[in-house]
Amino acid sequence: MSQLNVVGQSLERPDAYDKVTGGKGYPVNVKLPGMLHAKMLRSPYAHARIVSIDASRAERLPGVKAVLLPKDVPQIKFCPVFFVPVQAPSMVLDFDVMNGERVRYVGQPVAAVAAITADIAEAAIDLIDVEYEELPAVFTPEEAMAEGAPQLHDEAPNNIAKTPFFEYGDLEKGFAEADFIFEGTYETQRVHTCYLEPRVCVVDMDRQDNVTIHVTTQHLFGTREKLAFALGIPETKVKVVKSPYIGGGFGGKLELTAMEPVAALLSKKCGRPVRLEQTRQEDFITTTRNPIKVYLKTGVKKDGTFTARYAKSILDCGAHATHGSEVIMVHGAFGLFFNYHAPHQKWEGYTVYTNNMIGGGYRGYGAPQGSFAVESQIDEICTKLNLDPIAMRLQNARKQGEPHPFNPAFTLATYGLADCLREGAAKIGWEKARRRDKGSSGAKKRGIGLAVHPVWVSGCMGFPDIYEHSGAIVKINRDGTADLATASMDIGSGQIATLTQIAAEALGLPAGAVRMSSAGDTDNLPFDAPTHASRVTYSSGNAVKEAALSAKKRLLEVAGSMLEVSPADLEVSDGKVSVRGTPSKTLSVAEIAQRAESPFVQMTAQGPQPTVMEEKGTIIGLSSLAPKSNPTPCAAQFVEVEVDTETGEVAVLHAVYAHDIGRAINPKAAEGQVEGGFQQGMGYALMEHIQFDPETGSCLTTDFLDYKMPTAVEMPRKIDSIFIETDEPTGPFGAKSLGECCVITPAPAIANAIHDAIGVRFTQLPITPEKILRGLGKI
Amino acid sequence: MKKMLTLEVNGDVHELAVELDATLLRVLRDQIGLNGPKKGCDSGGCGCCTVHVDGKAVYSCVCYAHSFDGVKVTTAEGLSSGEELHPIQAAFVDAGAVQCGYCTCGMMMAAKQLLDECPRPDEEQIRHGISGNLCRCTGYAKIVDAVKLASERS
Repeated sequence: MSQLNVVGQSLERPDAYDKVTGGKGYPVNVKLPGMLHAKMLRSPYAHARIVSIDASRAERLPGVKAVLLPKDVPQIKFCPVFFVPVQAPSMVLDFDVMNGERVRYVGQPVAAVAAITADIAEAAIDLIDVEYEELPAVFTPEEAMAEGAPQLHDEAPNNIAKTPFFEYGDLEKGFAEADFIFEGTYETQRVHTCYLEPRVCVVDMDRQDNVTIHVTTQHLFGTREKLAFALGIPETKVKVVKSPYIGGGFGGKLELTAMEPVAALLSKKCGRPVRLEQTRQEDFITTTRNPIKVYLKTGVKKDGTFTARYAKSILDCGAHATHGSEVIMVHGAFGLFFNYHAPHQKWEGYTVYTNNMIGGGYRGYGAPQGSFAVESQIDEICTKLNLDPIAMRLQNARKQGEPHPFNPAFTLATYGLADCLREGAAKIGWEKARRRDKGSSGAKKRGIGLAVHPVWVSGCMGFPDIYEHSGAIVKINRDGTADLATASMDIGSGQIATLTQIAAEALGLPAGAVRMSSAGDTDNLPFDAPTHASRVTYSSGNAVKEAALSAKKRLLEVAGSMLEVSPADLEVSDGKVSVRGTPSKTLSVAEIAQRAESPFVQMTAQGPQPTVMEEKGTIIGLSSLAPKSNPTPCAAQFVEVEVDTETGEVAVLHAVYAHDIGRAINPKAAEGQVEGGFQQGMGYALMEHIQFDPETGSCLTTDFLDYKMPTAVEMPRKIDSIFIETDEPTGPFGAKSLGECCVITPAPAIANAIHDAIGVRFTQLPITPEKILRGLGKI
Repeated sequence: MKKMLTLEVNGDVHELAVELDATLLRVLRDQIGLNGPKKGCDSGGCGCCTVHVDGKAVYSCVCYAHSFDGVKVTTAEGLSSGEELHPIQAAFVDAGAVQCGYCTCGMMMAAKQLLDECPRPDEEQIRHGISGNLCRCTGYAKIVDAVKLASERS
């Protein structure tokens, strides 16, 4: 790797100044002239037939401009998940915007109103009379699969939406070869991503079906495709405007919901733009991380080598499959099946309908649920067989140079798991802490725990039906700066910083000379897959680098003409183009761009003179490409906890997270991802839980007073991020991606540390004080 | 039903007719046109809407605007003077405490209250001082760094 000038620096985020002075660029701020406000009426029943809807009282309320009922909404079934085609064969096509016959969960939209104020719209939905005929409901996957259970969808007998499986080797043989067999069931709960900017859209749909939408989304092109399909109109009728910022997503804004098409249809009815903002309560019941129950059986030799692994996973997808069709696959593949070597393996998954809320995307996408099972059970194995948890993991892990387990066409060219474990262990003082006294005399016991995430996706290539390519436009300006335009959404993930740093490095411009364009939409930007998975730094980064190199090529052609040398003899550095070996022959990038955009015929003392035609034209580079590989990031998480055996409270004292990310483009931004990821993982481990009334199925945790996530007080006082820079050959300047491993590992690491502290194994998340006290036999 | 109200917001005096059930947050955003105070939950649970009323931090989403006649309100927009960032704003930028940015303005107003009352807080005081404000991106580490930095610089 040659000298890097911009990549690798913790540069100030270009968006930070605006965000500390108010923050203009969020969808929640969009106001259009004549804009109306909408609200949705939602079902109070978990399962019911809609007998009749009478909206006449609502229509008469002054200020109401339109009422939308199921009969006004195209009754089209589709998959609302953004990163797959709307009719992806690998998904389940069971979602509809407003079903006129049946509701399948509490909160399903059944009608909507647009009015001159949000208050009037709210009052009007209370005036819509819906007659329901209640049907028996089912709230657990086990009950739903049982004989005689209420059937939610005709095409899914026993309420099973999907049953994927993977298998190789001979499972029986593998278990027969084992010295020990470990079995356990590990359960995870429903949690919310808790993005802080609520879901909101402002839609203008005219009577010729032209739609412009501003929306909180992680994917411009997914929004366009799914919204057009739901409305039954051509895709190019829909223009999705890129918001400069989104107030958090974390996977929670990765599908079309009822909100966007409902607002669009109301706008068309009224001939005015319509704004629909969800309440926090509505957001809590819109998407969630699917709960999964995992049964895991592992055969091991005395030395800890896996001989066979079998797992069965049951996912509660709620009333519609949506992400549950894909989460189960990622969970099986990257949560359970491919993370370690085992000669004989089988996994089977079940995505099961219930009358609970719909699932969704959430950082980690099925892996946190799998990792909790796998990494907890490895700890059980190590404890029982007295094995070193680091050595045991490395013994079963993959090695650098092996084929990628998911796609053998790729190689694990860079794989720094051993370094992650070594450096992480040194940082937290693993050896010493394992041997120390747990604090046997006092009520507070300390423990230390470890979990790793060995194989993950950096870019998603390999799964069927998943969009993956990225595109970029890089334009060099006459002042020597450059503009970068991409459809990749910065949802807080930092690509306004990292992608502009990649572009500047590739162009040879100084730090800060590349600006992320704040304007753009699906009409004028190249297609891009979502900001999701762990892909943007790698996949979008490669696209941005490619576009920048294309612009640079043209820059050097123009400079070569101006200097009368071959472009091959030129180099760019710090905004200057010079002839290699002759530093005196230099042009600034600004001079070259000015020449390229100057008038062809220029007035001189000798009269009008033509200039060189070959130098003319804006210096611009374009790219649209699929990722070159699927290099896996990998990570090791260490935590130290203190368990109060009197109160059951768990304090995480110190977290160390070591991660092979190839190269940190902006180390401070990378640290921010890790520190935030740990908060989400720690909340999952210890406190977060969307809870429902077991009788009615209605959500009980509808605000942040009831749904607890860690504040600054609960967080560890020390989070150390270690980045192992393995210089991935296919990555932009060596980078891989980062977004998700840091969310996957905290729960098992914390559970393992709690076991180390008090000797009790917890297999159900979240590990609340009540569970701790029960585990200790105190209640 | 509306009530007339005088509010001084970031130094500007506004005469407003407000609905009796309008929250201070709604008036600041929808009637005065500010972006700094943000709606995250509308129920006093996240702190994105934090502003100062006569120098004290409040959740503007759970305050009825009509009860604030004659007060001085400061939002994140009012922290900076001209092009110069307030030390807290500058510290948030420099410490890398801003990610999606949705919590940032409320978080800075909570930090300001803390630093107004306790100019040299230790880490525990900082953590408790901002514990009424949620962030989902940062894990608070760099926010705590930013408050420390602002304290050291002033």
